[in-house]
Amino acid sequence: MMRRNNQAGSGEQEENEINLTPMLDVVFIMLIFFIVTATFIKEAGIDVDRPEALTRDRMDDAAILVAISPGNEIWIDKKVTKPSDVRTVLEKLHQENPKGSMVIQADESSTHETLVIVMEAAKQAGIPNVAISADE
Amino acid sequence: MRKTNLSMGTEEEENEINLTPMLDVVFIMLIFFIVTASFVKEAGLDVNRPDNQQQQEQTESENILIQIRENDEIWLDRRLIDPRALRANIERRHAENPQGSVVVQANAKSSNKMLVLVMDAARLAGVYNISIADPS
Repeated sequence: MMRRNNQAGSGEQEENEINLTPMLDVVFIMLIFFIVTATFIKEAGIDVDRPEALTRDRMDDAAILVAISPGNEIWIDKKVTKPSDVRTVLEKLHQENPKGSMVIQADESSTHETLVIVMEAAKQAGIPNVAISADE
Repeated sequence: MRKTNLSMGTEEEENEINLTPMLDVVFIMLIFFIVTASFVKEAGLDVNRPDNQQQQEQTESENILIQIRENDEIWLDRRLIDPRALRANIERRHAENPQGSVVVQANAKSSNKMLVLVMDAARLAGVYNISIADPS
């Protein structure tokens, strides 16, 4: 059953070809997995020092992340947002994923005032579930 | 030209579909979804922010009102409470009135660290219904 396998000429190649079907199956399953798990979270863009809490819940349905920096700047979708624009931006993001909830990543040293601005804007934008991010 | 098995000697090589372009597309999609997959693990504390009507209803029932002053002091029942003693105090009040929820009223200039600390203490004390009132 030995055959010559040369690229030039009319060599008989069929038996030497790799069967791609099992690989295709695996690739398709991976593709479907990544499509299903893709949630497209809007990340805030900065890393903040979260307050500590012992009783925290996993926020699996978080779609929008809003960060408040130590200097009380509001970061949404990798941009600094003015307090007056927060509501408009949140409304737009909420429309893209109406089922997702929002998590506010407030820095330990940011003030309550800014947090209330963001929470008020989220309420006006119709976001049903708002949580404050906490760390170990 | 050669006979292929499984199909009673029909010549099939020319009729096979070329899978290579489809494989290319599938791989590109796979890479796209792998790259965009952001497995953000966010942990946090849920808050509900009462609107004005709810606030009035809630003040009628006995709630545990915790105030955070501008200098991050925690006041409960007109007494200054040490953060470490907060959980025990909330537990006692919760035992007296299991229906009441915790309402946190923080000063606009207080830090969010204290807010999360108070909310964490309330949750440790078994009160999961926490509201944030308008800043004082």
